[in-house]
Amino acid sequence: MWKDLVDLLFQAYEQFSLLPLFIEIALAFIIIAIAATIFAYGAILYKRYRTYVHEKRVAFISPIIEELITDQVLLNENLGKDIPTEEIEFDKEALSNKVYKKPFVRQILIETLIQYRKNFRGEVGELLRKLYIDMDLQKDSFAKMKSMRWERKIKAVVELTQMDISISDVTILPLTNSTNPSLRAAARNAYIQLSKNEPFKFFDIATEPLLPWDQLEMFKIITTTKDIAIPNFSRWVSYSSNKSVVSFCLKLIAHYDQQSAIPAVMELLNNKDHYFRADAIICLGKLSAEVAEEKMVRIYNHQPLNCQVEILKAMGAIASGKYLEFLKTEFLYSSNFDIRMNAARAIIKHNTQNSRLLVEELMEMTHEENQLIIKHCLNPLIKY
Amino acid sequence: MGTTFIEYASWFFETTVFIYGVGLLLIYAILAILSFVNIRLFLRKESYTDYKVIVGSPLAPGISVIAPAFNEGLTIISNVRSLLTFDYPNYEVIIINDGSTDDTLQKVIDEFSLVQVDFAYDVKLSAKPVRGVYKSTDEAYAKLLVVDKENGKAKADATNVGINVSAFPYFLCTDVDCILHTQTLQMLIKPIMEEEKRRVMATGATLRMANSCEVDEGVLITIKAPRPLLARFQELEYIRSFVLGKMGWSYINAVPNVSGGLGLFDKEIAVKSGGYDPASFGEDMELRMRMSRYVYDNKIDASVRYIPNTLCWTEGPTSVKIFMRQRTRWARGLLQLMLAHKKMLFNPAYGRVGLVVFPYNFFFELLAPVIEFLGIIYYIFLIYFGLVNWPYAIILLIFVYTYSVMISTLSVLWDQLTFQYYRTWKDVARIAAMVFIEMLIYHPLIVVFSIRGYYFQLTNRKHSWGNMQRAGFKKKADDKVPKNTNPAAT
Repeated sequence: MWKDLVDLLFQAYEQFSLLPLFIEIALAFIIIAIAATIFAYGAILYKRYRTYVHEKRVAFISPIIEELITDQVLLNENLGKDIPTEEIEFDKEALSNKVYKKPFVRQILIETLIQYRKNFRGEVGELLRKLYIDMDLQKDSFAKMKSMRWERKIKAVVELTQMDISISDVTILPLTNSTNPSLRAAARNAYIQLSKNEPFKFFDIATEPLLPWDQLEMFKIITTTKDIAIPNFSRWVSYSSNKSVVSFCLKLIAHYDQQSAIPAVMELLNNKDHYFRADAIICLGKLSAEVAEEKMVRIYNHQPLNCQVEILKAMGAIASGKYLEFLKTEFLYSSNFDIRMNAARAIIKHNTQNSRLLVEELMEMTHEENQLIIKHCLNPLIKY
Repeated sequence: MGTTFIEYASWFFETTVFIYGVGLLLIYAILAILSFVNIRLFLRKESYTDYKVIVGSPLAPGISVIAPAFNEGLTIISNVRSLLTFDYPNYEVIIINDGSTDDTLQKVIDEFSLVQVDFAYDVKLSAKPVRGVYKSTDEAYAKLLVVDKENGKAKADATNVGINVSAFPYFLCTDVDCILHTQTLQMLIKPIMEEEKRRVMATGATLRMANSCEVDEGVLITIKAPRPLLARFQELEYIRSFVLGKMGWSYINAVPNVSGGLGLFDKEIAVKSGGYDPASFGEDMELRMRMSRYVYDNKIDASVRYIPNTLCWTEGPTSVKIFMRQRTRWARGLLQLMLAHKKMLFNPAYGRVGLVVFPYNFFFELLAPVIEFLGIIYYIFLIYFGLVNWPYAIILLIFVYTYSVMISTLSVLWDQLTFQYYRTWKDVARIAAMVFIEMLIYHPLIVVFSIRGYYFQLTNRKHSWGNMQRAGFKKKADDKVPKNTNPAAT
């Protein structure tokens, strides 16, 4: 039988080789296309089946895990008795259940504990952490750290951070400069949360950029993590060669209202990069740095439009009243719409007797379009 | 002479067109691989992304959502409410009433407590005059801005007004009747904020048909594959175009188009490029090309990015007449675009756009229906003269058919591997079934309507902006709401 089959295939090949090349190509593609289509449908079926099985398994195991956490942590009888968390013991039999040996279950357990820890702080949060350690789940996380795959590493970093398990500087610091942006961001966020003494140490060695998206996450972590030692960020404004770190520090300086950083920020007004200068001007405006007004006005005429607009906004935020005449000139004589709009806003933001008189004066002396700009800026319904 | 012509035609179709066809199929194969790689990369990143960090963040960039409306009186209230539900801290919603002849404006004024305000703005992009600008006295609707303008007979004109009055550095262009995911803004801004080297000038996401989905007050309740056959074909086409096509192109920074239904743009580049062209029949693709020209001319290293998530559901035409009108307009837009930007073709000064995007659009989007149409005529001619080698002809037909089935099936697979929007097997089967009949029913329609569009454009036929009757979305109570939409969308 095999011989017949081989003969048949051989004959088919002989006939195939006699066909014109384009027909040979077409036949080859037909076979590939049919095989790929069948494979694709198989993959769709498999994927949906796998999702179904996964959901079933999660539905089965979740109540068991919830019960474990409820019994061992939430309803632990030693809670609230001033017993140190390290001394509270769990029911060893419950923890040694065979089901918790399975990697799939352990992973769900880790994820569930993380979810709980996000919602519980204090004693319960510490007890959740102890359960994570007592069940040797940190070993699973550290094993992931050794993986070659960057997404496994991220998973490990996130798990350890959420469970407040310290990672050695030797392991984590190199990752803060990883060329993989996702891993780099996760490592930096972890470092801030885990390092007790110098959470911003990696700013000193950061050569890779701190992307705007990463800044969002880091900003949230810095501003919401308790007991974090906030340094004077002007240190990096003055010395860091990483532009994104400096830009981020300017935002933090403004957020923490670090008045002592004003001189360092003012130095950036001499920087060649106009985007950088604009960031510095925004920061000075938020700090209400009256001392910077004079310099901003002095450099104003040599700035590109984005910096000029930011200077006007900053002057509106500082609102010292010293430069109303300057703002009036810009409003009346600039040919640029954005300049006039921001000059008008800056005048109105002063909200002093002088500024109100100036607005009235401008309304009388200026042309229709400028009057419309003033009305626009005065209208409380228009926010932007 | 007759023999010579037949010989030339035979040579042309048997060599040039064969190579052309194989080239097209190879491009699809490459796109399938690239999109798979890109989607996998996206999903790996996505699994660690916490979008909550942007909600409430003072660092979130501002976005203006621009939605033109024309005679949307029946559904405008739920449409606007839907647009006001984005999970994003820093945005405004700009509704442009494009000279509606019904009560669209009055309804919005009454519902959202609007009053006319003195609003100053810079006319950076020319458009029809604005009649009034309205803001709400209710703090709950502080993000809403309504602009009433004269009808410009094009969505482009209304969108340009929206760009003029917008306050933020990014704008989202959409249709007011599209249903957008509440996380749309955060998901579309992310590729802009995480790009390391280039400036991202536009981002887009997948669109799907909302025809059989359940919608309540402008919010999507249940996702279902469309029941009407024509809409189901379009769903398959959209999945192939977005999930397989655009994700593949995005991987090599060569996205040919950002859909008019959903696109987030860098306002500075869009304005400096001249904004939307109201005279264009394909204003979205035209803007993308012009933005590319601008960035290359000004030596700005920029990119366009796509994400595979479906963030926008739109109602597709279910009658052949309306579908024909839509596709004829798209074909006119494509030809118009090619003629307007012909200097970009194979021009290395325009990088990938000149060497990849434009040639692809020219050879495989613009010429494909023409070559296909001529091929059918040639085939009929050969059959008439008995010159067809039937066994070979059948093999070639099977080759094209099986290949197209494979590509469409792969796109359905990629879609299923990523998000599994359809919860039931039945919905997947409904779309999968279309794969086998698309080439026999839907594809010929596309070819004919494209040829029609080219003919109309070449003969300078006036486009009639007819109102598009839509069935409306399926509500829980299953009450169907007929409504008119912007004629520019038809």
